[in-house]
Amino acid sequence: MIRIVSAYRFLENAQNPDGGWGYRPGGRSTVEPTGAALLALADLPESPALAPARLWLERAQHPDGGWGIHLEDPESHWCTAWGVLALLRLDPVAPPALRGVRWLLQASAIRIQADELTAEVRRIFGIDPTLRGWPWRPGEASWVEPTALALLALHVASAAADHRDRIEEAIRYLVDRRCQGGGWNFGNPFMLGAYLPPRPHPTAWALLALQALAPDAIRPEDIEALRSEMHRDGGALALALGIMALQAFGVEDPIARERLEMLQQPDGSWEGNPYVTALALRALNGGWPWRRRG
Amino acid sequence: MAAPRLTRRAFLRLMLLAGIGGGLAIAERQTRPVGLRTFLQWTLRGWRRRVEPPAVVALGASLSYDENLLRDALAELWAQADMPDVSGRRVLVKPNLIEWIEGRPLVTAPEVVGAVVDLLRSRGAEVVIGEGPGFRRDAGPVVAQSGLGAVLARRNVPFVDLNYDDPRPVPPRDGWFPGRSRLWLPRHVVEADLIVSVAKLKTHHWAGVTLSLKNLFGVVPGICYGWPKNMLHVNGITPSILGLKQTLPPVVSVIDGIIGMEGDGPLFGTPVPHGVLLVGRDPLAVDITGARLMGFEPEEIEHLSLGMWAGIGQGIRIETRGASMEALRRRYQPPPK
Repeated sequence: MIRIVSAYRFLENAQNPDGGWGYRPGGRSTVEPTGAALLALADLPESPALAPARLWLERAQHPDGGWGIHLEDPESHWCTAWGVLALLRLDPVAPPALRGVRWLLQASAIRIQADELTAEVRRIFGIDPTLRGWPWRPGEASWVEPTALALLALHVASAAADHRDRIEEAIRYLVDRRCQGGGWNFGNPFMLGAYLPPRPHPTAWALLALQALAPDAIRPEDIEALRSEMHRDGGALALALGIMALQAFGVEDPIARERLEMLQQPDGSWEGNPYVTALALRALNGGWPWRRRG
Repeated sequence: MAAPRLTRRAFLRLMLLAGIGGGLAIAERQTRPVGLRTFLQWTLRGWRRRVEPPAVVALGASLSYDENLLRDALAELWAQADMPDVSGRRVLVKPNLIEWIEGRPLVTAPEVVGAVVDLLRSRGAEVVIGEGPGFRRDAGPVVAQSGLGAVLARRNVPFVDLNYDDPRPVPPRDGWFPGRSRLWLPRHVVEADLIVSVAKLKTHHWAGVTLSLKNLFGVVPGICYGWPKNMLHVNGITPSILGLKQTLPPVVSVIDGIIGMEGDGPLFGTPVPHGVLLVGRDPLAVDITGARLMGFEPEEIEHLSLGMWAGIGQGIRIETRGASMEALRRRYQPPPK
C-alpha cells in the first residue's frame, strides 16, 4: 500500500535550503526535479515548500525567459518547459512562465530542407527531416521528449491556439517519429536498416502531449507499446510515467500500480530520488495535473 | 624630395613576406575551425610519437566469463601492461551500458566489471561504477537486467547514473570542441583520479568500432545534453571522441572481447565468441589493437587514424604482450553504411 503522506514528507525534507531540489537529497538544486516536485506538492497548498521553490525557479530563470539545468548554467534549453509547467501549476498566469513560453516559441531547431540531404536522411533514419519539434539544446536536432514537454507547456499556458502552425508542425513531427508497431524511441524510429524499439519514457511523454493537443493522432498500438515497454523496463520512472500517460486515456493498469507501490522505499521515496518520487506521487495520486481543453 | 627607390633586395624581401603572410592566411583558412596553432600542435605531437617509447597492450586469450579465470587473467594482464598504481586513488570504472536488448552482447559483461572492481580494490583504490546510457532515461533497469546489479551488490560497490550526477563546468582541452568554452561533466568524472574505460569489443555504425575511446561518450550527462547526447554528434563524432579523451582525467582501458559483436553495432549486431581481453594504459593503442583483432586497420577508422595523426596517444609504436596478436585476429563483419 502506497504511503502518500511519507512520500510528501520525503519531498519536503529533500528540499534544499535554497528552495530547489536535486536528483538526490542534498544534490544541487536543478530545474527538472524542482519542477516535478512542484507538480506533486501543489496538491498541498499549505506546504511550506511551495513559496521558496517558486522563488528558486524565478531566480533560475534567465533574462531571455528560458531555464538551464541550474543556477550556474547560463544557457537556456529543454529545461524551460519544466520551468513553465511548474510555475503554471502554482499560478496559471505567472508572468515568468509566460516569458518562458515566449522563449520556447522562438527556440531554434535544425530543419533540413535541401532535397539531396532530405533524401539521404530519409534513407538512413526513415524520417521527414523538414519537420521541426523541439531540441534538447537550441540549434540542434529535434527529439521526442523535449518536443512533448514543450507541447505540454504550451498547452498548459493556453498558448496552443495562438501558435497553431508551430504546434501542428511539432505534432506532425511526433507522428512522423512513431516506431513501427507503435510508441516512440528517443528520436528516429529507424536507423540504417533496423527498426528501433519504442522506449517507455519518450512514449509516455509523447502520449501525454498528443492526448492534450491531437488525440486523433494516437493509435491503439501506441498505448499497447507503452504498456508493454513500461513493464519490460520495470523501473520506477518508467512505471510512473507510464501510469500517468495511461490514466490520461482513462486506462488503468493495476499491475503497474502494484509494481510501482512495491518500489516505494521505507523513507517514502522512490529510489531516494526527488524527481522520481514526485512523478510516482503524481502517478499514484491524481495523475497528470492538466486535462485536455476542448 | 625624391621618392625612396625600391631596391631589388627590398623587393624580394617584400615578396618573401607577402608569400609567408599569404601562406599563413591560407593555412589558417584550411585549418578552421581549430586554427593554425592547434593544427601545428597536433601535427608536431603526432610526429613526436614516432620517437617516443612504445605503448604496451596486454592480450589475454581463450577466456570465458568464469569468475576465477577472469580474476587471474586480469591480474596477469594488468601486470604485463604496466598499469598505473591505483593505491589510495579515486577510480571511476566506466562500463558500456548503452542499452539492454535481450540476446544481444551489447554491454560490457558484468563478470568483467566485477573482476576489474576486485582488482582495483585489492590494490587499494576507492572504486565507483558510473555510466550514463545514451538510450535509457534510467540506467537502473539496464544495470539490473544486464546482471551488473547483482555483481555490484555482492561487492557492495556504488553505481552512479552519470546522466544525473551533479554536472560541473570543465574547459574542453586540445581544441576538439571548437566554439565551446565549457563542457558539463558529472562530478564523479571530474573528481576521479583515474577512469578505467571497461569497454566492449564491437562494431559501430557511425564510428566503425566502439572500444575504450568511444565508450567515453557515456560520461556526458543526459540532463545537460539529452538522450542520446546530440551535442556530441553536432560537434562531430570523431572530434568528440578525441576531445573527451583529452579533457577527462587520465583514462586507461580494459576491453571485453570474450564475446564481441559484429555487424550492426552498437545495438543490433551479432555475437562473436572471441575469448580476448585487452588491457593497457594508453586507450588509443588499446583501441588500435582491438580494431586490428576485429580485422580493421586503424586507417579505416576515422577517430583512430586522426588520433594517431594528432598524437592523442601512442598509436604508431605499440608493443603487445601476452597472447599472440596474429593468432587472435578475426574478420568481423563491418557495420552497414
